[in-house]
Amino acid sequence: MQIQVLFFGVLAEVTMTGSRHYPDVRSFDDLRLRVEDDFPEIVHYNYRIAVNNEIINEEPVLQDGDEIAFMPPFTGG
Amino acid sequence: MVNDFLTEGPVSPDIISTELSKLGTMKDSGAHSIFLGQVRADPSGVRRVKAIEYSAYGSMVAAESEKIINAIRSEFDDVRSVRIIHSAGIVMAGEISLFVLVSAGHRQQAMEACTKTVNLIKKSLPVWKKEIFEDNSHEWKQDNYA
Repeated sequence: MQIQVLFFGVLAEVTMTGSRHYPDVRSFDDLRLRVEDDFPEIVHYNYRIAVNNEIINEEPVLQDGDEIAFMPPFTGG
Repeated sequence: MVNDFLTEGPVSPDIISTELSKLGTMKDSGAHSIFLGQVRADPSGVRRVKAIEYSAYGSMVAAESEKIINAIRSEFDDVRSVRIIHSAGIVMAGEISLFVLVSAGHRQQAMEACTKTVNLIKKSLPVWKKEIFEDNSHEWKQDNYA
């Protein structure tokens, strides 16, 4: 699966990227391990995951073309 | 505007004026409650905030704003419309970064719904604040209790 990963807030700063494309993703767990391998510092931060603009509370089943956002706690408003 | 709910930089007096100019068309409303969120020059030790840089997940801001508006209109049956505009990018201390306008038939629901809308925005909108200090150092805001 082709998956687009987005980083926001402090995670965009520590990863020094706002987004990265991941080809050949097998599952969410596979994606998470690859992201942590590429950006080991993110394990030190609290974040939630959104899949296609929806926050998920359990491991999602990914589909080709999904957009996955790594989001620290919101501080807007 | 970045999208219907996000504007680049501060919510300017011109944007606010444009939104207020639409009120005359809403002849079934008798009350409008407005919230303006402003960037404060907060102290942090010896430093003081000179600006906030807002980053946002634009498409999700739009989706969540629609959800907030639908939730408010479901809960408050006298509310006629809800308008949300949040800043993205740099907003200087003293400038406006959030505009909420709730129109209702009567004042009680206008004011209550406006308060609830602001609280839902702080809880649900994917926006992040980076405080920029007078010495140009910066710090990411950790929580949303202000």
